[in-house]
Amino acid sequence: MKSNVFSSPVFKRLLACLALGFALAIMVGPQQGTQQDYGLAFRQAVFAPRIFLFLGIGLLVFVLVTYWSKITPYFHRSGVAPLAVGLVTVVAAQTLLKWHDPTGDGKFHTVSDAAVNIDGLAPLAQVYFSWLAWPLLFVTVLLAGSAIVLEKRPIAWGAAVLAIAGAFIAPVAQSAYAATTTRIDHSLGAGSAVSGYLVLLGAAVTIAMSKQESADTKAFFGRVLTWRPGLPLAVLGLIVGTLGLASATWFSPSKTNATLTDTATFFTGKGLAPIAEAYLSFLGFILFGLTLIAAAAATYLRNKIVGWVAFALGLVSLYLTLNTMYLFSSAGASLKIDQASGPWQNLGSGGWMASAAFFLFAGAGFVVATADWKKAKTIIVNGLKVAAPKSSDHGGLFGNATATKTLLLVVFAAALFYPPTATSFWQAVLVTQIGIYVLLAIGLNVVVGWAGLLDLGFIAFYAIGSYATAYLVGSLPIKPPWGVISPMLAIPFAIAICLVAGVLLGGPTLRLRGDYLAIVTLGFGEIVRIVAINADGVTNSTRGPSPQVPHPVIDLGFIRFEFGLNQLQYWYLLLIIIVIVVVLFRALEESRTGRAWAAVREDEIAAQASGVNTFRIKLLAFAIGASTSGLAGVFFASDVGFFTPDNFILNNSILVVAYVVFGGMGSLPGAMAGAAVLTWLPEFLKDQVPAEDRQMWIGAVVLLMMIFRPGGLIPAKRRAAELHGYDIDEPLEGSAVPAGEGMGAKS
Amino acid sequence: MHDFLLYLFSGLTRGSMYALIALGYTLVYGVLQLINFAHSEVFMAGAFASFIVVHAIVGEGGDLPGWVVPLVFILGLFSGGLTGAAVAWGLERIAYRPLRKRGAPKLAFLISAIGMSFLLSALAGKLFNRFTNNQFPDYFNKDAIVFSIFGAEVRLIQLIIVGSAIVMMLFLDRLVSGTKLGRSIRGVAEDAPTAALMGINIDKTISRTFVIGGALGGAAGFLFGTAFVFSNIMGFLPGVKAFAAAVLGGIGNIRGAMVGGLLLGVIEVLIPALPFIGTKWTDVVAFVVLVLVLVFRPTGILGEKLGRAA
Repeated sequence: MKSNVFSSPVFKRLLACLALGFALAIMVGPQQGTQQDYGLAFRQAVFAPRIFLFLGIGLLVFVLVTYWSKITPYFHRSGVAPLAVGLVTVVAAQTLLKWHDPTGDGKFHTVSDAAVNIDGLAPLAQVYFSWLAWPLLFVTVLLAGSAIVLEKRPIAWGAAVLAIAGAFIAPVAQSAYAATTTRIDHSLGAGSAVSGYLVLLGAAVTIAMSKQESADTKAFFGRVLTWRPGLPLAVLGLIVGTLGLASATWFSPSKTNATLTDTATFFTGKGLAPIAEAYLSFLGFILFGLTLIAAAAATYLRNKIVGWVAFALGLVSLYLTLNTMYLFSSAGASLKIDQASGPWQNLGSGGWMASAAFFLFAGAGFVVATADWKKAKTIIVNGLKVAAPKSSDHGGLFGNATATKTLLLVVFAAALFYPPTATSFWQAVLVTQIGIYVLLAIGLNVVVGWAGLLDLGFIAFYAIGSYATAYLVGSLPIKPPWGVISPMLAIPFAIAICLVAGVLLGGPTLRLRGDYLAIVTLGFGEIVRIVAINADGVTNSTRGPSPQVPHPVIDLGFIRFEFGLNQLQYWYLLLIIIVIVVVLFRALEESRTGRAWAAVREDEIAAQASGVNTFRIKLLAFAIGASTSGLAGVFFASDVGFFTPDNFILNNSILVVAYVVFGGMGSLPGAMAGAAVLTWLPEFLKDQVPAEDRQMWIGAVVLLMMIFRPGGLIPAKRRAAELHGYDIDEPLEGSAVPAGEGMGAKS
Repeated sequence: MHDFLLYLFSGLTRGSMYALIALGYTLVYGVLQLINFAHSEVFMAGAFASFIVVHAIVGEGGDLPGWVVPLVFILGLFSGGLTGAAVAWGLERIAYRPLRKRGAPKLAFLISAIGMSFLLSALAGKLFNRFTNNQFPDYFNKDAIVFSIFGAEVRLIQLIIVGSAIVMMLFLDRLVSGTKLGRSIRGVAEDAPTAALMGINIDKTISRTFVIGGALGGAAGFLFGTAFVFSNIMGFLPGVKAFAAAVLGGIGNIRGAMVGGLLLGVIEVLIPALPFIGTKWTDVVAFVVLVLVLVFRPTGILGEKLGRAA
């Protein structure tokens, strides 16, 4: 009998946890050695006293894992989940996010160091920045936590009061600080802290009020989202709109940060169009109030007619808001106020926040008007009508139609009205990274997620689309014989070319099985890239297209729209394209073709036996994926104008596969979310870790995701239902005796 | 003839390194039917660790007594192999086993391996350095001409690399076909559930398969670093090529990986050497050959059963 302490599972676990601490110590350690001293960074990381801190973290993890069964009962108490979320949000806001862009690196500690030295700062802000921020958070969490453990309600009410205080002080202090400077500020830190404190408030109230032994967070969200359709939208609109109308900046030429009322006084008697003047001085508030009342009434009464009224009012107000913004920004420019530069320029976030609020109110009305709560809930599974499971069974995210609509509307509000308030850096990231890779991930999802074909050369089609565009607009050394065309007109041609390329590659190779196909597509990707480098006379090699691919101009005679002024135009165009593609692909997924893909993916032989032409259906997936990729290529080419074969390296192909799997194979929202998160992360990490270490952290995130959630961020429902695992899914040996028990397990 | 032989020798050198790495891919594929995308980082880790060992012994190089050189070389080979084995073992524990226990879909393994690959490569860059031209100390005359055939010189380093690769491959072949461990590996590759019923511990067998493949990959890292240069991103291209080689020979087939590796190395050097092609098409040639072979022999040159290796 082996009964020694070194082979016991507890000891192994301890070793693993210490190794984890060690690895973390190295990962956050100092940067590289030199060619003279290779071990420098290693020694600095390991032989510094910090190592004990990290080994301590390892020990902590060990203790947590070992006593997990003792801790978990507390996890199910009411309020734990929001408490954790709120804590993480506030901590993240106070450590990672920017609180004021113009101040140094903009992070909380930098801003507070600066704030302490300002003499005339409001005393509240002074106190907050000098010492209050962290203790406030910790006392709040401590109170809420002890209320959970001790089950004492009054303590939780104390925590709630503190959370309200936090949610109030953070933005006040931040704006007091921001008011001392006149520079434009896009920071999100204070806002995130507020939302974190609001979540903490929710946690505290839950703890204080809950009568249940254990919490069911999913059911709670399900109930909130469906109790009154549209209510979350109306509440969100109220918050965003109030902030937008009351405190956010509407007009900010170089030296001013004017709120709505300031803007109104600014433009009084300057010959602004009467409608805009009315909006700025009183109409905006009235519209906001009216729409809010309509939306709230519709939500509460669940009345369809009131719902449509709120919808219409919201849209009209949205139009008026945007119109006003256009009018006063162009008036500001023509009056040459303080270097204002043109229509749609120098706008702060206020107008966009108000627009988002009106959009959300309209959305709330729409949700109410189209909600279907009378009908018995049935869904169709495999052609049979069955009773729909409760929303809580569905994992909450896309539980039922109303919740789905609500979430979609929030996402749309963010996608429409957040980008204009972002810095130009983030706008560029949104288009050239997030938007384009989301499109690519949607395309690859067809190939990998639905048809189950591993394509490691997906970027090749993207490259072909980009080069096709460059060729058609006459930016390559060889010119098209029929003359050049606009990049927008290149879209159908590029799609067609990529479709043909997909068929040409797929034709001979799709008979190959899984991993053989992977290496062939990988080879194809490399071949395309190397041809692009070597065929100098055709592609201009590594020098890229010259002259640059021009920005498209839409000229319909009576209206002329020029792209390329800023990234926002491309963003909205991309948004429209993505929506169209997603709608088409959703229909495709539900169609006969989509089911055929699923059949081929799960069992090709069975699919063939059931009459599916497997080769043709696979080829179709390949071609559709390729043409989506080509579409992304057109965008890329005309947005950046200049690209080289280095944009199409193998690593990018692998990354797109990683985005799709990270998000959830075969799930459209998953693939999009995966691409969005993983393209956003490196840019976000730019401010957090040294540039060279970004790859490392991304690798770690992907690895952790796959270990703890192998289905991805938003797993596909169909896949989850159909695919229960991998061939060797159970520990085959010794499964009669649970791990860690039986003979020889105890020392 | 002279040129042809020169290119052939160079191709064989390159090919034997591909073969050593390809064995790692093929072994793992044999038992798990998964592509171990992080294997290239095992190769890289072998190069760095063996460099540290060799550097600690010989310093910046210079003249060493004749009997020390083989000793240092063998030590380097072993340290590379050991590190490779250790990294591969850890890789299996971290990026594969938890997913197996959860019954993750097949692609999740691929992605976790890719994540691990990013992590390891960036971590090595952080710990050591990110130069792309690190060199082993010069402790013997690598370019010494050992002998020549038809006037084509065979360099010492070429001979050593091909020789040690052949020794390791023979050793592996014996290991897989002749030992108890080899039988269990073949058993798991053939039919894991049945193998489990026959009393084979699947977890242990998989773990050991990774270790064997990792040892070969790490040793190849040492050989590669000695012959050329090494860096934290050195693994990527040889890794892709070796993967292609494994597929070329028939993935999951040990002798296939050897044949595929050697063949790919030779093709890659010989065909671009033809006057009308040129070296800038090296990678294209490799992949075109791969695609052609697969179109006509969809499971590679030797077919794909690991069991057939015996």
